Amino acid sequence: MLTYPQKILDNLNKINYTTNIKGETMSGRVIVITSGKGGVGKTTTNANIGTALARAGKKVVMIDTDLGLRNLDLLLGLENRIVYTIVDVVEERCKLKQALVKDKKNPNLCLLAAAQTRDKSAVTEEQLKDICDTLKKDFDFILVDCPAGIEQGFQNAVAGASEAIVVTTPEMSAVRDADRIIGLLEAKEEIKSYKLLLNRVRPNLVKSNDMMSVEDVVEILSADLIGIIPEDTGIITSTNKGEPIVNDEKSLAGKAYRNVARRIIGEDVPFLNLEEDTSVMGKVKKFFSGLMGKEK
Amino acid sequence: MNEIFTNLYNKVLGFFRQTEKEETSAKDVACNRLRVVLMQDRTNLTPELMERMRKELVELLSKYLEMDKEALELNLEQDGDQVALMLSIPVIRAKDEEEIQKALEESEQKQENSSEEAQENSEENECSETNGENEEAEKEDSQATNDDKPDTEAPETDEQNNSETTDEDAKSKKTKS
Repeated sequence: MLTYPQKILDNLNKINYTTNIKGETMSGRVIVITSGKGGVGKTTTNANIGTALARAGKKVVMIDTDLGLRNLDLLLGLENRIVYTIVDVVEERCKLKQALVKDKKNPNLCLLAAAQTRDKSAVTEEQLKDICDTLKKDFDFILVDCPAGIEQGFQNAVAGASEAIVVTTPEMSAVRDADRIIGLLEAKEEIKSYKLLLNRVRPNLVKSNDMMSVEDVVEILSADLIGIIPEDTGIITSTNKGEPIVNDEKSLAGKAYRNVARRIIGEDVPFLNLEEDTSVMGKVKKFFSGLMGKEK
Repeated sequence: MNEIFTNLYNKVLGFFRQTEKEETSAKDVACNRLRVVLMQDRTNLTPELMERMRKELVELLSKYLEMDKEALELNLEQDGDQVALMLSIPVIRAKDEEEIQKALEESEQKQENSSEEAQENSEENECSETNGENEEAEKEDSQATNDDKPDTEAPETDEQNNSETTDEDAKSKKTKS
């Protein structure tokens, strides 16, 4: 039997870890999903984009950094499978790989859960950065779920990321907080780009001029848009079932999230037309507005 | 007959104006409020400071114009990446020379009366504006009260007469400081 010197074996192992099929060095993209305001759909966005990316064949790990208020596990239906958390990794009670919980359906998808019994000071910025850097070698995408607020929890979550998705809704308070977050992200050198995801848009209210439109929010924040997600009651049932809505082929919100994932990968996907006007006049209008939209 | 028609006309017009006002949509209100609040968030200009700026501008401009002081709007607005200070004043009429002269003298007397140091600063601002806006009044004025005004060096003063006074003023400023 041939025995290789240990050094060569080590190198071989290294190559397996750090290269993909094409032999290129694999370096995952670390994307933090943040919002400032709570309840706008950060965690839902995280679960859905993560699942959609995994469905597209990417290796994805989600990190829940909301220590003490973890929820990402619930949305993915993984709450019963968590043995170790990010705090266990940091305090060296387990290896990083042991703490990664595989998704029920998709083997490409993993979760690194937050500790429920600890507070935000249990993990430092450096430790999170180290974890992200390690995971970069094995995954295409590392999605960091950021806690609400702009305190230490936010600083931790952003520490390892180079991209950000700012989730907001077309409400004044959410937009104001998003503006604050954008200001903070712009001040961070490590964040190379940030995109806006407009959640819970209600086309009917926009139509009747009772709610700010997508254009209004984009203009006010002057940020690039990566997705428009319509308000969808299906989100509630999907959360209750622990099954992200992207797995529901019929859901409009699910489709919108799948489109976001495609845009993250780099595809050029047009934004969904959320107005469901099925009358003849509506269709005619839609046709013409489609023509107008192309000129932009 | 004519009166009846004008009356009717006004009533109809008034009706439409009213409905227009009422129809300011929730969306527009939200957008406008947000723009104002974000400007304040971004610039650190508190509402108090904006109010003070507004008051000072009213004080300054009312020397030259008769205007609706309450309706003066002062807002920071964003156009793309740039921030602009938007000032909208409903002007009732422009004042004539005599009135302007009078107003200027009044404001100077005010300044003489009040304490010197703090007043000098605000006067500096006001007068540099004065220069550009009404040169004639300014000329007479600065000559009359040369010693009190160490600050007529605004870039707009390019007439000979004026530049002379500017030099003198600059000197007087130096000696003062």
